[in-house]
Amino acid sequence: MTEASAAERPQRSIGQRLRDPFQRVRGAAPSLEVDTRLLGMLAALAVIWIGFNVMSGGLFLTARNLWNLSVQTSVVAVMATGMVLIIVSRNIDLSVGSILGFTGYLMAMLQAIWIPTTFGLGFDQPYTWIVSLAIGLVVGAAIGGFQGFIIAFGRVPSFIVTLGGLLVWRGLIFELAQGQTIAPMDKTFSLLGGGPSGAIGAIPSWIFGLAACAGVIWSLWAGRRRRRKYDFPLRPMWAEVTLALGSSALILGAVWVANSYPWPPSLATQYAESHGITEPPGGLQIPTGIAIPVLIMLGVTIVMTFIATRRRFGRYVFAIGGNPEAAELGGINTKRTIMLTYVLMGALCAIAGAIQAARLNAGVTSAGVQSELDTIAAAVIGGTSFAGGIGTIPGAVLGAVIMQSLRSGMVILRVDSPIQDIVVGTVLVTAVGLDALFRRRTA
Amino acid sequence: MFYRRVAALAATAAIITGACSTAAPSGGGGGATGCTIGFSWNNYTEERWAKWDEPAVKAAIAAGGGTYISNDAKSSEATQATNVENLIAQGAKVLVILAQNGTAIKPSVTKAVSEGIPVIAYDRLIEDPGVLYATFDNVEVGRMEAREIFKAKPKGNYVIIKGNKADANADFLRGGMEEIIGAAVKSGDIKIVGETYTDDWKPALAQTEMEQFLTANNNKVDAVLSENDGMAGGVIAALKAQGLAGKVPVSGQDGDAAALNNVALGNQTVDVWKDARLLGKAAGEAAIALCKDKDVKKVANTVQFDSPGKNKLTSILLKPQPITKDNLNVVLDAGWITKDKLCQGVTAGSVPACA
Repeated sequence: MTEASAAERPQRSIGQRLRDPFQRVRGAAPSLEVDTRLLGMLAALAVIWIGFNVMSGGLFLTARNLWNLSVQTSVVAVMATGMVLIIVSRNIDLSVGSILGFTGYLMAMLQAIWIPTTFGLGFDQPYTWIVSLAIGLVVGAAIGGFQGFIIAFGRVPSFIVTLGGLLVWRGLIFELAQGQTIAPMDKTFSLLGGGPSGAIGAIPSWIFGLAACAGVIWSLWAGRRRRRKYDFPLRPMWAEVTLALGSSALILGAVWVANSYPWPPSLATQYAESHGITEPPGGLQIPTGIAIPVLIMLGVTIVMTFIATRRRFGRYVFAIGGNPEAAELGGINTKRTIMLTYVLMGALCAIAGAIQAARLNAGVTSAGVQSELDTIAAAVIGGTSFAGGIGTIPGAVLGAVIMQSLRSGMVILRVDSPIQDIVVGTVLVTAVGLDALFRRRTA
Repeated sequence: MFYRRVAALAATAAIITGACSTAAPSGGGGGATGCTIGFSWNNYTEERWAKWDEPAVKAAIAAGGGTYISNDAKSSEATQATNVENLIAQGAKVLVILAQNGTAIKPSVTKAVSEGIPVIAYDRLIEDPGVLYATFDNVEVGRMEAREIFKAKPKGNYVIIKGNKADANADFLRGGMEEIIGAAVKSGDIKIVGETYTDDWKPALAQTEMEQFLTANNNKVDAVLSENDGMAGGVIAALKAQGLAGKVPVSGQDGDAAALNNVALGNQTVDVWKDARLLGKAAGEAAIALCKDKDVKKVANTVQFDSPGKNKLTSILLKPQPITKDNLNVVLDAGWITKDKLCQGVTAGSVPACA
């Protein structure tokens, strides 16, 4: 695979394109060149959302619930973006839940105990949140790098190394503070977890949405120019315009939903009182806007997609997953690349750990228990193949949204947790099974 | 190659034996005159056992002139069965068992009882009519949680956040709650608008559940019965995001530092506190009594407990202590928590214990 073709088809490897059944669909879809699998997942998500909305009597598709859903998804989605690269390179990481727990707990200890009390610097200092977050990120990356080193250079199977990690890092949580709950978090740090004060409000949300639209249009235009330069076939102009309009509508629609969720009445009242505003009848309506953890999730998704599709490192990962021997013989430093995927994964776990701790406003020993399973499931539902070489970052994020939609929809319908597990497990196997079936049929 | 492998094996074996010999918190050999009491812990790494329970057990046994020996099953049912035999082989005349799995340990317990060694089931139920069951009254914990919440909100929409479905305690607690609020539910004064089990008592999961219940009921939730402190923390985080923390009563149990701080802040209404040291002391004293007379029925302060397995068990059921804003000084006086931690962020003068 050359750099040029990688740039042309950012999302998929050649192997996938050959196997992708939907490539044979005639009509308008091919000229749009949209990943049909991604479209299929969007359709599945639409079915789930509408289904829950009907069953819950219109509760599911409210701005408030969708806003909650976006925040609830962010933790697993952040980790799923890293898991894609791990699985694509034919490895696995079972330790992500424990790394999340350990780094989250460490950051909680830093800001609730070590910085304020042990070092005697006091609570809620302006630097507390960033110092805690930075140390957490470094420790997460170091843990990931350590595991990656053993996997890549020690040639110990990743399943074993990260299974060990799952036990070790969870055990270390208890060693840090004998299993106590560490609370409360620093005031600035807790913004990372969302809540109305952890959202950016109406106008910044619109600015963000418009910037995102501009970014999409710019990338379409840049892609077209690049294709012309290398003499690749161009999309018809109508297809480019449809893509631009469609994505912009989706982005602005999401911003509109986030902005139509007003602050909870009692918080709005508090705000009005503290700012000396007389509340109008029916209460003050303050739009909440996009939550900070969701912004983090979107930022991570964009950066990871860029790394996976436009950077040499990312293309190496896909090449290794497609054929490890060929990649090594082709001059790729496979060991270093594999180790780097784990460094990245560890840092992402720390980000997820920060969001989790901030959201709960506490560091708890059980944070992230079993979230390795949710993360792997999100990546796999999102189209990442255990055979290696295939997977997309946006797909994994969408997979996380599907998983969380199922879970939170079932809570609204008052389905008990054991039944929830049964449903999620069944959906996971069915989704991957159907996918494999279609691939075989059409290959 | 061969030698390298042997060397590696030897090194591994050395590491394993080294680890084992340091891991078990052993208390020395049997005393010459005193009675030896063997304690089988299921998992010594949990904070509570090492910090509060074991010292109390040890002190009570030492005060009665007995000798304390112990080992740690590291969360393994199989290891615990072996450990129990080991304790007997080391000369234990009375066994105290904190069961990893109350059912799996039964054969070992039945064998010990039939050999004339009395067994105390520590904190966790072992369904054998011959054992002495020492625990806090979990049904009473549920009653206490419901009582305080019911006092604050005798009418309205209730959400109930229960613990792990596989844990019998979740249902004991729920049973106790039902005794308090059952009549009001029947009469329609209380409407249960959300009730769910929570895998592994996870706080983050409880938070998501609470968010969904608030969404489903458009914030019309008047009270929350959470079965423990960790989940109460999750519930309070969800309430805080809606500006409802401190307005909606929330219950909990365990005496977690963060939860007691929430009680002082007014975010949590009641925290049912089980002083582990009392349980350790009671079990230690009962063990000493059993050294002198093997009949568990003659141990002081016991009641007959009807177990879920339809056994009548002689039991020590300690009374937990509900902690509210008004009696926070109880946990302070007991040295359970420091004033700094309890009163962090509390407005001066709003809580007597923080004055």
